[in-house]
Amino acid sequence: MSTTTLTPAAEFPRLDWPFLIAAVLGAAVLVALVALDGQPASAALLILGFGLGAAFLKAEFSFTAAWRRFLVNGEAGGLLAALLLIAVAACVIVPVAALVPGFGGAIAPIGPSLVIGAFVFGIGMQLANGCGSGTLYTAGGGSGRMLIALALFIAGSVIGSLHLPAFLALGGIDPILASNHFGAWGGLAVTLASIAAVALAIVAVARSRRAGFKPRPPIVIGAIVIGALSIGVFLAGHHPWSVTFGFTVWGAKIASFLGADFSAAAFWQWPGPKRALAESILSDTSSLTDLGMILGAMAAAAAARPFARTALPPARSLLAAALGGLLMGWGARIGFGCNIGAFVGGVASGSLHGWVWFAAALGGCMIGIRLRPLFGLTRD
Amino acid sequence: MRIVYALVLVAGLAAVVADHLSSPSSARAVSPEDFAGACAPCGAPCPSARKK
Repeated sequence: MSTTTLTPAAEFPRLDWPFLIAAVLGAAVLVALVALDGQPASAALLILGFGLGAAFLKAEFSFTAAWRRFLVNGEAGGLLAALLLIAVAACVIVPVAALVPGFGGAIAPIGPSLVIGAFVFGIGMQLANGCGSGTLYTAGGGSGRMLIALALFIAGSVIGSLHLPAFLALGGIDPILASNHFGAWGGLAVTLASIAAVALAIVAVARSRRAGFKPRPPIVIGAIVIGALSIGVFLAGHHPWSVTFGFTVWGAKIASFLGADFSAAAFWQWPGPKRALAESILSDTSSLTDLGMILGAMAAAAAARPFARTALPPARSLLAAALGGLLMGWGARIGFGCNIGAFVGGVASGSLHGWVWFAAALGGCMIGIRLRPLFGLTRD
Repeated sequence: MRIVYALVLVAGLAAVVADHLSSPSSARAVSPEDFAGACAPCGAPCPSARKK
């Protein structure tokens, strides 16, 4: 006599066809819209974003958890994988941005605004349990908790856009770009050397705390794939991949629809934001990759398991997601981006602000980790 | 949660399509850094430009 045990995998189909089809169809509609406008680069950004969402989800690539493991236990594998990702991207971004007209790196002023924004972002990412890219791919991947974080991230970034001019008035210095001082290839050498130096310091910390520092193979593969895709985003968009400006534009467009007036806001009078608010969001490079990423993560999640079947976590955890999202949104706008736009994009461009952002955000993470138990979240 | 996701997906895509069809589009997708004077991914001006 044979018996059949009903496992959770057998209870539900492995493929979640409705959400898989919806995600692919949604991406196809957006690609068709920009293709009809004769914008192949925009179509490429949507498709690359789709690939990034799938890659992040499949590799479970997480800046937030990696930073937390390093700060709490000294485990450095995830952090080193992130540096590998940046090194891969830098090999193309630094020389192309320096040598090819029309291309540029991710730069930002260095001053109080950068430090304060990154620090607040670091607190938020530990409370929300995800950074800019993490929020996108987990929200797209079916986490209702991160859907709340994303909504508050968007709201926070609009509030931050209204505060940024006042924070810039606190002072600062112009961006410092390695290629401006050492040339294209010298700048690349300095950038890779700085990444190697930080990696060695991280390994030394891990060893001193008797923690592991070898990244798991799937994370290494994920870092290389994400690094390659971010190069594709750079080549299609002419600037390094960024995430959070898209959120700011979405939030401002929603607020405008609801009657808000941004005509007196200094941020929205700068040429870039002003144009972004007036034009289609499919004309904005970060919005294109963001939308692609959400749909890519959704497709990858629905292809692997029943989509969004998990129950919402306790209210305290949802409150942490909301507060974390709000802090990340505000911090990203004041600090010129998130882990992707400021840290990955900045360092991979050879811009000093990327390292300053990293140090300040790491400090914020230490506070965020201490706050996590207040919301019922573990510290590690 | 699936129903919430389905609603968010439909509403989000409808909003993007409506926005695209009712707003002008650049000849190619741009970021704020493409504009003269931009000193950050959000298009903020450089400190040196603010002092002038």
